[in-house]
Order: sequence, then structure tokens, then C-alpha cells
Amino acid sequence: MAAVPVPEPADGWYLYGIVAAGAAPPDGAGVDPGHGVVALAEGPVAGLVSRVSLQEFDEAALPERLADAVWLEEKIRAHERVLDSALAAGPVVPCRFCTVYRDDHELRRFLADRGDVLASALRRLEGRVELGVKAFAAAVPKGEAAGAESGRAYLEARRREQQEREELARTRAELVRDLHRRLLAAADDGVLLDLQSRELSGRGAEMVFNGSYLVTDAARFKQALADAAPDGFDVELTGPWPPYNFVPEELGRP
Amino acid sequence: MSSRELDSYRPGGQPAQLSDVLERVLDKGIVIAGDIQINLLDIELLTIKIRLLVASADKAREMGIDWWQNDPFLSGGNGHGKLEDRLRRLEEKAGLPTTPEEE
Repeated sequence: MAAVPVPEPADGWYLYGIVAAGAAPPDGAGVDPGHGVVALAEGPVAGLVSRVSLQEFDEAALPERLADAVWLEEKIRAHERVLDSALAAGPVVPCRFCTVYRDDHELRRFLADRGDVLASALRRLEGRVELGVKAFAAAVPKGEAAGAESGRAYLEARRREQQEREELARTRAELVRDLHRRLLAAADDGVLLDLQSRELSGRGAEMVFNGSYLVTDAARFKQALADAAPDGFDVELTGPWPPYNFVPEELGRP
Repeated sequence: MSSRELDSYRPGGQPAQLSDVLERVLDKGIVIAGDIQINLLDIELLTIKIRLLVASADKAREMGIDWWQNDPFLSGGNGHGKLEDRLRRLEEKAGLPTTPEEE
């Protein structure tokens, strides 16, 4: 058993992400409001961690916790807040929500084993941020077929509506291709994410585009977005995000 | 360009939309074999559950705390209104612990 710096057996370490060794940990509390974030350095890299109660974050307790929307929103926001603050100071490789260690032994071993790969990932991310782009469609006009007076007028109106729908689908498919292509030209990398339902996005309008980009020159990217933003669509830029979508998955593998 | 200069992208310093945070924090980022972790096979199901829960919590907040008072199906009931039944059915469908019968 390795030495545990703070010998509180009921506590573990929550890992937010990896930064370069020597980077100052962000101020403020972690997912547990009682504990701040510290940087656990090992070679060229450091893990951003904070103490958490293992009663709260144990495997046995997690499923129930995860079903508690209030708890979950609070912890997810805290996770994101820590990484946001870290990002303001320098590059960070973000970890997925709820990566917890019982003590620092395994974490230090991971950092030692993968230090070189993590350090080169951090170098690659230097000066780059992830920016999100979403586009929402304006409301689609209501069909006129329902109000038609004759059967023939009804059929014609139905046919027109069908054509309009097909036209709309074509327009949207083109919009997605064109917007993604033009944004990629102003970015280092980019991915298309799943579209969010109205319930999820919290918007009345339908989401038609959801992309995320790794960007060096934000001014250029913003200009490309302004140039490419199509009429009749509400376009939204979000970020800067920790580069969640641009860290190679294999970084975490032993 | 430093990332600090980009902070203004979040309109009015508002926290990011929860849906945007969820799709990143839960689905993306590196996965390290910590001592304790969510079973990755379940992550997709978990994401759906969380989204459903958060969406319904947001909806409830939007509607305000006294929303049931104006709902003819719920006012004057014994706590077994139509909305509660629907919620219970939804929760069962999503495999979530169901809402307690009575607060």
C-alpha cells in the first residue's frame, strides 16, 4: 500500500484532468465543496485532483447518486468549472466525469507510465481551444392543407407541403455540409456531434447543426462563422471548452 | 491567442447550457481506469437517464413551483394526478427509481 498524503481513509481523489507539471491548480472548490483542487505532479505532467468522500463516490453509492438530478447537476457543473479555470491558465487534457481513485498510488502510476504521451498531447493543445457551433432552424410554417375547401385543393396543398418539406430537408443537409466544411477550413480539427432534441437544448427551435472545433486562431474562426452563417438560422457559438472532443481516446489506455 | 480572450463567447458570463456540458463531460474526455468508475458499458444508458432527469427538472423549474395549482387534472386530487401517473410510467420506462407516492 502506498503512502497516502492525507490519511483520511474514507476519502479518495477525484481526477478532473491532466495539466503540465508546475501549472498552478485552479482556485475554488472541487466536486466536494469542502475541498479545493490540487495538482499532483509526476514527471512532466500533473493530475488536477480534489478529495472526495468515498461514501459519496463509491461504486455502490454512485448508481443512486447518478439518478439524483440535483446532485448530478451540481457535480457536473463543478467538474466543468474546475476544468474551465484550468483552461484559462494553460492546456488541459480533460477526464470524463467521475474518475475516482481510492488513494494516490494508482493515479501516480498512471501519470508515470503515460507521462510522455500526456505531455505531448498537452503540447499539441497549447494555444488551442474547443469551440462549439450550433444552428437552429426558424419555425416551419403551418400546413395549409387542413383548411382547404375542396378535395382537389386539399390534394394540391398536400403536394405543395410535401415538396416544401423535401426542399427543407435538402436545404438543411446542404447547410450542414457547407457550414462544417467552411468551419473546418478555419480550424485545426472538427467533429459533428449528435443533434440535441428540443427537450435537451431547451429551445423552441429545432437544432439542425451541432459541431465542435479545435481552434488556434479564434478571430479567424469567428469570421468564418460570420461569413458562413446561413440566413434564416439562429447560429450560436459556445466555448472555449476544455478540448473534450479532441483528446485521443487511447491516452487513457495502459 | 490565449483562451482567456475567448471568455466573452459565453453570453453575459452565463454558465454554459447544461445540455452542452452533458454531451461533453459524460460522453467525451479521456477515460482512465480509476479505482472507482462508472461502468462504461452503461454510459450511454446513463446519459439518456441523466438527460431525461435534467430535462424534467428544468421543465419543473420553468413551470414554477405552483404549477399544479392551475392544473385541473391535479388540483383537488389526492396526489394521484394524471401527470404523476405519466411521470411514473416514464420513469419505469427509463428504469429509474419511481417517484414516491406522497411527498
